[in-house]
Amino acid sequence: MGNGMSLPSFLGKLFGSREVRILMLGLDAAGKTTILYGLKVNQQVTTIPTVGFNVETVTIKNVKFNVWDVGGQDKIRPLWRHYYSGTQGLIFVVDSADRARIEEARTELHRIINDREMKDSLLLVLANKQDIEGAMKPQEVIEKLQLSKIKDKVWFVQPTIATEGDGLQQAFQWLSDNTKEKGKK
Amino acid sequence: MAATSRTARPFLTRTTSENTYANGAGLAGSSAPNRASLSSFPPSSRSASQMSQASRPSRSPQPPTGVMSETDRASNPSSKSKTASTGTGVSSQHSSLSAGAGRRSNPNARPARKLRSQYPRGSTENHVEYILVASFDIDRGPVMEHQYPIAITGDEHMLAELMLPDQAHVRNQDWTIFFLHKDTSQEEDDQERRAKQERRQRRKRKRDREKGIIHESDDEDEDDDDDLDGDDWDDDDESTDSEPEGGEGPPLIYVLNLVNTKQDKTPLLLLALEEYFKSPVPETLAMLFDAVNQMDLSLMPKLSLLERHLLQQSENKDLFVEKFEQMIQMRIAEDRGEGVADQPFDASQDPPKRPGITRSGTKAHIEGQATYAVPRDTHEFESKVMYKGIPIPIKVPVAVMPETVGDFSLIKLIQNFSDGHAKSPQSFPLHPHLTTNGANTHPIIVLVNALLTQKRVIFLGHNMPSGEVAEAVLAACALASGGILRGFTRHAFPYTDLTKIDDLLNVPGFIAGVTNPTFENHPEWWDLLCDLPSGKMKISSRIEQAPITEGLVYFQQQNPAHAGLVNISSSSSSSNSNSANSDLTGDAAFMADIMRSIATRAGERVIRAKWRDWVVKFTRVAAAFEESVYGASALYIGSDDQEVVTTAGSGPVGAGGGHGYVWCDEASKAKELAGNVTRIEGWRNTRSYYSFIQDVAQLYTVRPLKGLDLHHMHDRLRTQRLSPMQSKEIYFAFCRYVHSYDEICLLLSVAPESHAGLFYIALGLFHKEREVRLRTADLLERIGDHEAGQHWWKALSRFEKFQYLRIKKEAEAEMRLRLEKENQTGAATTGGVGVGMGMGMGMGMGSSMGSMGSMGMGFSPVETRRIS
Repeated sequence: MGNGMSLPSFLGKLFGSREVRILMLGLDAAGKTTILYGLKVNQQVTTIPTVGFNVETVTIKNVKFNVWDVGGQDKIRPLWRHYYSGTQGLIFVVDSADRARIEEARTELHRIINDREMKDSLLLVLANKQDIEGAMKPQEVIEKLQLSKIKDKVWFVQPTIATEGDGLQQAFQWLSDNTKEKGKK
Repeated sequence: MAATSRTARPFLTRTTSENTYANGAGLAGSSAPNRASLSSFPPSSRSASQMSQASRPSRSPQPPTGVMSETDRASNPSSKSKTASTGTGVSSQHSSLSAGAGRRSNPNARPARKLRSQYPRGSTENHVEYILVASFDIDRGPVMEHQYPIAITGDEHMLAELMLPDQAHVRNQDWTIFFLHKDTSQEEDDQERRAKQERRQRRKRKRDREKGIIHESDDEDEDDDDDLDGDDWDDDDESTDSEPEGGEGPPLIYVLNLVNTKQDKTPLLLLALEEYFKSPVPETLAMLFDAVNQMDLSLMPKLSLLERHLLQQSENKDLFVEKFEQMIQMRIAEDRGEGVADQPFDASQDPPKRPGITRSGTKAHIEGQATYAVPRDTHEFESKVMYKGIPIPIKVPVAVMPETVGDFSLIKLIQNFSDGHAKSPQSFPLHPHLTTNGANTHPIIVLVNALLTQKRVIFLGHNMPSGEVAEAVLAACALASGGILRGFTRHAFPYTDLTKIDDLLNVPGFIAGVTNPTFENHPEWWDLLCDLPSGKMKISSRIEQAPITEGLVYFQQQNPAHAGLVNISSSSSSSNSNSANSDLTGDAAFMADIMRSIATRAGERVIRAKWRDWVVKFTRVAAAFEESVYGASALYIGSDDQEVVTTAGSGPVGAGGGHGYVWCDEASKAKELAGNVTRIEGWRNTRSYYSFIQDVAQLYTVRPLKGLDLHHMHDRLRTQRLSPMQSKEIYFAFCRYVHSYDEICLLLSVAPESHAGLFYIALGLFHKEREVRLRTADLLERIGDHEAGQHWWKALSRFEKFQYLRIKKEAEAEMRLRLEKENQTGAATTGGVGVGMGMGMGMGMGSSMGSMGSMGMGFSPVETRRIS
């Protein structure tokens, strides 16, 4: 009986299916919700500002990503911290065309990753809206966000065009690979 | 955000086209065709028959207003009884009998106090005090857009956040409710003048202005769906009835917040919202505000606390219909220009069955074009709001108990958490306050225990409309309150979110509804998490352990035999205790009964009545516990002197006196207390405990029959094997003390129809002593004449009614005989009879007391009147 009960989870392990909790943050209108639903339904969706949050489970190659997408208006950013605990991966979405607010983005990002509860989390920065002319390239985003200053954290920057779905597979592949390694340890 | 402008455009065009429409103020009146289809209140259409009725002189003098005292009763007002209404074949003989007796009056069939409206005409109190509109700004988040008529004080931003629930962007329609605590530092009304207002706000999304999408929420008060409103209309101040509801602290403002409207069934909200989108200006809100506040509820009678209890416990759609008829008659009289308002309504007048007053919804009503109608179901008062010329029907509950807010369903809540439990019982980690029946305690009992012991309870409904979450919270409040206990809604946050978490955590013990699943990841925020979608409850791993209290230790010392039954051990050691299996609390049996009732399609009212019984029982068991463990309890007030009167003649086993919960023997009492010790001890420090003590004290000042625990006496008849002597004393006490309208209400409230009604009282008709049978018959006659009691009377079995008749006939025959004898001898007077009766009673009751003589004398005047 006991064996029978445990079989499904045993199979699960065999095929590498596991759950990863992802928190997706970023300034308002960065494209978080579009990314989430682009992944989920695999097509472009029309979004409106998120009141509160969205949470969806996205399965990519046997990895179940439990993705939390939290609204980004500055007044509600203080709430982000309530989502930290248990987060394995942080996706920070940046509007690469919004040079005016990249400083603001940097401040917010560093505030997040300096929180004690986020110390074990991976950091994936999505340099979104690459389709817009004049958008910052990944290297520029790295500089502007001062990612090189970050110690003790695995991070990665992926250029994306959320509305087309470009770059999202690679982004999640990176998350998948890195959380796996961590799990093996 | 390209898509934004797409959705926005239609609204823009609509907005422009509507402004003209909305500005045409005359438009409202011109939509008259709608009005004709529903009944309205033009005062000119009174029928001739009503006129003649109203002008009919009353048949009897008016009883004095004010509470009837014993002397009033004895003075025997001469108004004629309305015995004909006692119903069934019995009544004709019954009435002939009383006619023959010729002296029986019925001042007690109706309350002596003047019938008044819950919402009198011309009252300055508004149904709605404020209307707020908030929207979600793409840049700034929630913002307050309008406040009408004046700005509500407090943090605007906080209010706006409250008005826009999480995930409003994925839902077309939603509503929430929240409570604002009003600062009454300036208004010092002792009598809880509760300013309540509800407001609802709704909001439509995808509305666009230059910048993009703005989510508008406009709220309107008003109740919309038929029952939604119900709650908001609580009773207004009680001062006039002198029935304090307890010191609740500053009044709450109820804010009903309607979000989204797309498929709103309720025309009023829909109309108002559309109007607002057409012209988002304060004038639009003003129109709504005025429409709602002009709603006429003046024909809704005001009920006393006891009457409200009776109405809530009863399924009877006719209960207190007389009051509605009286209200209408008073109105008709007023309309005719009579100054009826100053005169107390004639309490003894026949129940007015006028052609002009018909039952709403009946054929006669629809065909007869009646001006006034009594409601189809006296539990609900039907009115309407005229909005832009369109009458929108509204139903308002007539009897609202404290802590009953909003339209919720206990059945839904219970089923939500029972179905899963029935299939595979959930095993809880043990906590003395919560798992009173062990690890497999029914989740609903765990929930109630959590509320009673003031834990932090969260209802989580991920992906659910916030309205559903709010409903669960409101239902939980009502569950724990039972209409008896208070302090739950005051600390309820029917819908809240992360923005309020810091404030929430400052509240010791709360009931909150959330939709954000992140709450589940924070067990340090709650003690009990009720997950609505899965129907599972979770006791937090971080819950504070229950302290070992004095009361618990005392109990164990006093009852060493039952000490082991107490579920103190929160560790696994108690898993072997029999408390898990033996259902000491009776809760397992209770839940089984509830589930059976739901399965057999018992209505919401039945379930609520059962819960009320459960809560009443809990408080009574707690009182018994305190008395036995601490030697005294503030949960029951009785004055000794009165008890002495009742127990006159009682030996060691006093029958008439005594109070509190009744067990059939001491062992079952000890067991039940053992099962309840931990949660009673957990309850003893809570808000609901302290406010209950206040309420008990305040109620004591207004309740009839102080010091006499009718509930206790009735329970003894019900549950114990009594000797004829013991039961006689109880019957005598009932018969002696239950006379006035309120006293009969009190008796009815301890013998609800849902239990056995008058069954146990009617058993007195079969008592082996004739005197008991006679007096019980008199008591039943009084109950049968009573406005509410008539319905209880009708539910008596044929057999009981037959016995009643037989007794009455016998008494009549005997009296005739005696009169003849007296005429022959010319000696005896009725006074003589009275003394005789008094002595007889003294014999029965006073044997062990030795004060026979004085008792006999004391009661003789009363007895004379009643028996002769």
